[in-house]
Amino acid sequence: MNAFEIILGTLLSGLRSATPLLQVLLGETVTERSGVANLGVEGQMLLGAFAGFAIAATTGSPWAGLLGGFVAGALLSAVHGALCLWTGANMFASGVAVWMLGGGLSAFFGIPFVGRKIDGFVPPDFGAAAHNPLLGPILRAATPGVLVGLCTWVACGLVLYRTRPGLRLRAVGESGESASTLGIRPSRVRWAAILVGGGLSGLGGASLSVDQVRNWIEWMTAGRGLVAVGLVIVARWNPWWALPSALLFGVVESLALRLQTLGVGISPYLLSTLPYLVCLAVLAWGSVRARARGAMPRDLAQVFSSTE
Amino acid sequence: MHVSMKGITKRFGSFVANEAIDLEVAEGEVLALLGENGAGKSTLVKILYGFQSPDEGTIEIDGKPVAFESPRDSMAAGIGMVFQQFSLIPALSVRENLQLAFPALPLVPSRRGAADTALLANLRRLAPELDPSALVADIPVGQMQLVELAKVLNLDSRLVILDEPTSVLTPIETRALHERVRTLAAEGRSVVLITHKFEDVASCADRVAVLRQGKKVEDRPAAGLSATELSSLMVGGAKVSAASRVPLPTRNVPWLEVRGLRAGDAFSSVTGIDLVVAPGEILGVAGVSGNGQDVLGACLAGVREVEAGEVILDGVAVHRGVGGVPDPQQVGYIPERPSVNGVAPELDLSVNLALKGLHTLPFWMGARRPSAREALPMLEEHDVRPRDPSRKARDLSGGNLQKLVAARELSGGRKLVVACYPTMGLDLAATQAVYARLFEHARNGASVVWISEELDDLLRFAHRIAVLFHGKVLGVVEAAEADRNELGRWMMGARS
Amino acid sequence: MNILLRKRRELSERFRWFEGTLSVAAPALVFLLASSAFFALLGRDPLALIGQILNGAFGSTYGIVETLVKTIPILLCALATAVPARLGLLSVGASGQFYAGAWLGTGMVLVVGGSHLAMPAMFLAACAGGAIWALVPGFLRAQWEVNETLATLLLNYVASLLVDWAVYGPWRDTSNLGWPATISFPESVRLPVLVPGSRLHAGLLLAILLAVGLHILLSRSRWGLELRVLRSNRKLGEGVGMSWKAGAAATMAIGGAVAGLAGILETSCIHGRLQSGIALNYGLTGFLVAWMSGQHMLRIVPISLVMGALLSSGDALQLFAQLPEATAVVLQAILFCSVLATGGLLRRWRSP
Repeated sequence: MNAFEIILGTLLSGLRSATPLLQVLLGETVTERSGVANLGVEGQMLLGAFAGFAIAATTGSPWAGLLGGFVAGALLSAVHGALCLWTGANMFASGVAVWMLGGGLSAFFGIPFVGRKIDGFVPPDFGAAAHNPLLGPILRAATPGVLVGLCTWVACGLVLYRTRPGLRLRAVGESGESASTLGIRPSRVRWAAILVGGGLSGLGGASLSVDQVRNWIEWMTAGRGLVAVGLVIVARWNPWWALPSALLFGVVESLALRLQTLGVGISPYLLSTLPYLVCLAVLAWGSVRARARGAMPRDLAQVFSSTE
Repeated sequence: MHVSMKGITKRFGSFVANEAIDLEVAEGEVLALLGENGAGKSTLVKILYGFQSPDEGTIEIDGKPVAFESPRDSMAAGIGMVFQQFSLIPALSVRENLQLAFPALPLVPSRRGAADTALLANLRRLAPELDPSALVADIPVGQMQLVELAKVLNLDSRLVILDEPTSVLTPIETRALHERVRTLAAEGRSVVLITHKFEDVASCADRVAVLRQGKKVEDRPAAGLSATELSSLMVGGAKVSAASRVPLPTRNVPWLEVRGLRAGDAFSSVTGIDLVVAPGEILGVAGVSGNGQDVLGACLAGVREVEAGEVILDGVAVHRGVGGVPDPQQVGYIPERPSVNGVAPELDLSVNLALKGLHTLPFWMGARRPSAREALPMLEEHDVRPRDPSRKARDLSGGNLQKLVAARELSGGRKLVVACYPTMGLDLAATQAVYARLFEHARNGASVVWISEELDDLLRFAHRIAVLFHGKVLGVVEAAEADRNELGRWMMGARS
Repeated sequence: MNILLRKRRELSERFRWFEGTLSVAAPALVFLLASSAFFALLGRDPLALIGQILNGAFGSTYGIVETLVKTIPILLCALATAVPARLGLLSVGASGQFYAGAWLGTGMVLVVGGSHLAMPAMFLAACAGGAIWALVPGFLRAQWEVNETLATLLLNYVASLLVDWAVYGPWRDTSNLGWPATISFPESVRLPVLVPGSRLHAGLLLAILLAVGLHILLSRSRWGLELRVLRSNRKLGEGVGMSWKAGAAATMAIGGAVAGLAGILETSCIHGRLQSGIALNYGLTGFLVAWMSGQHMLRIVPISLVMGALLSSGDALQLFAQLPEATAVVLQAILFCSVLATGGLLRRWRSP
């Protein structure tokens, strides 16, 4: 394989690896843009992964699985919304609670599905194109899960920056107080943002279980949801930057896997730490710059600084 | 729009912000609403705009009674308000801010074409050189005010409320604003103009209403009103009992020296501050709040980092950043908004009072821990209520917290006392207690920097008075020889 | 509603214990209702299950011992969360610090296992490992305002993988044909057992002593008072010469050391060797316990016991009720949600 094929292959497998993360990243970006942080995305992702897998396995339809994942994630995020917006609980603690709930529920109900395998999205016959050195890998990588991810990415970017609801969302995140002087109701906007974020996290989880690995193990997301929360900061709360950020993580992850298969002497466990460490490093770098240039939505910044 | 507010009363706990206020604005009339800080102007106007509801009283628009639940209702009724702060969103562009407030904005708002032109029409008339794609955070404060005004004009409001609109404008922008206000009135709209500047009243007001301590004390046509009459209307009130100025020993030994001080951020800053204060001298700093007083006070007290220049006390540099942190017990510092900045709300009064000396306690505090025994006398002297040292600070009212901070900062021997509006909102007895302490420190040889809006008190008790405007010291005069009117003009930026 | 609020104010003014009891009773009630609803939705009898939980946790000597065994790491991890929380730092990194302490402590044992200083050396190493693991996010927060919740969570995964690497790699005991683990620890580094024949070791006493000690430190020392000032109003504290950054470093380091201690105790006294996955949920459980205790060191002790009971009952539920292991996690989550919801509402509904 020549260099071009290697790079293309790495990017494409990085993209596949990154898609679930991308969904969660976009979802959390929307939520945080309204001034609410939701650490429970990990739990929402897990619940979505389980629900998606269960539905796909029982109905045989991977599309139903993706939809089911979205709904499951949104329902769980409603718990977070109720805790934060109705009872006034601390946002971070509430996120951890939702995380535990999602993880526990998915592990609890997921037992009958452990070890099962599904077909996921069966790729159509591409014919001659499949052998083309450029088109072939691209066509194979562009599964419906990946395509849905890319569509979500474009949709988020456009809606946030070009539409009225997106404008209101950004206004509320910057200052709920200012927004309310304009007649906007911040809590309504935040509820919507939490639910959309929850749905997208669930969709990401379903992408993982239905499209990418096509099986189910408890706690299978291994912290990807949390990585997403970190990457939101790196992406400066800009959904357009979500794809490169997620891709970074995905590429590092698939490189680590590749290095393992190439028999490089480093332990697979150490290699697995790379994505988290890279994320942490980029998070640190991103935090400095985000704070300096004030990219963080201002109402969110107040939440992050205080801890009551 | 004819607005009629009758018997408006609003209480926050035991504090009466507005008491039985009647106010009327006729169609096409410009009403100037005057009063000091805390007089109740903002509350009254917030009630009109729908932010608050009155405890008693009614509002009628064009003869029909209305009850606003939120700004949405008042906006729908045709009332628009131009805020002094917190209404524009700095991270968004000018255009986006206008879009947010634009009625019937389409789902996908356009950035060019006829719809965009209509959106920007009012802005272009007010500020033709302003780029609508610029972020609000990047434009000068004066232009922010004009964007705010454009926002409200887009609503085609029949009543426009302007809250201190000229406080951040340059003289040219101010004139443009006055013209706009007169045009609004000529178009048949009503305008309520909250201000404490004489030039605003003189240039565009038809009538003047003055609030003092929650009540309306005056309501008359603006014609023929002089600046002196106006300021006495606003201030009024009982004078502090006839204590006399502390005698000044000598002035040849500088105690506090400030050289080339520069500090602050986009919201509040000071530059090029040079001051020399003798031991036992009281330097009054006059000026409308918001001209950098908070930064000046914090830098002198060694609480805030300076960007350039130095603060030297008794020959030793004490500005923060030089060699760590200056000794807190040298300086008594009453900050702006002491109930927020000067107390630890979750801790009890004993601890709050002992903060400055905490670092002298041993590691295992044992019997030396902050106790009620040391706290009670301080609470007594400054009349802090409730007189219970074990209460948490957050249980106290704003006024009592102020007294608490004064009690802490003005106790003991200090080399320097920096007091920012130490008696704002306090009643007569508490004010006297603060002054007594302040002047005693001066008698004992401390330098006192006294930042205040109470020009009359400064004139009576300070030795010299400096006027702060837009972050610079416009001038320093001997209090005994100062001309009140001239100082008043300096405070408004008119250095002749 | 106003009537209820007034009643509450009356009762809290008359009885000093009212608010405290309310803050415990309310979430407990909500938890019982919610978990009963959960069981009922599954088609199981809630009362019977609750009975089995209590029986499993306290109904036999074996049950009590197992409850106490689980209480030790939970208690320590709760302390590890509560100390930084005194400054307002929200660290969820106890499990990462747990692993880091276990790792470094094991390394020390592998090096000096035979000597009679092995035990203190092991403890020191474990505390150091945990402290270092906590200082990284602490530093990131103090210097660059990096959110410590996120940083500690990410590092949890890294620490767990670090242990996996050691256990599958360089420290693997090849003579052990079972699951991957290090060699067994010598007897000299294991604490004595409290109940003969059981797993319950003296670490329980150590943990309780730590709780008491930290309580005294935080409530009686000037440093503890400074932390409270900084937490309440950071600018004010810094204005009188305190250093928030130093406080952040110190509290994180102490918390990390305690969690590291938990790690090595589990490793040496319970498992007898370092192996993968020993932290289980202790980190998150500790976070939950700390939160429920209001970050109060002494209250953490009984609440850790309750949590220990809940977790060890998971085994009972598995055996007798055929419910999966994850039930304990779900119950914990429901408990946490109940605590958060009632805490928030009680705070809001304070005055009429």
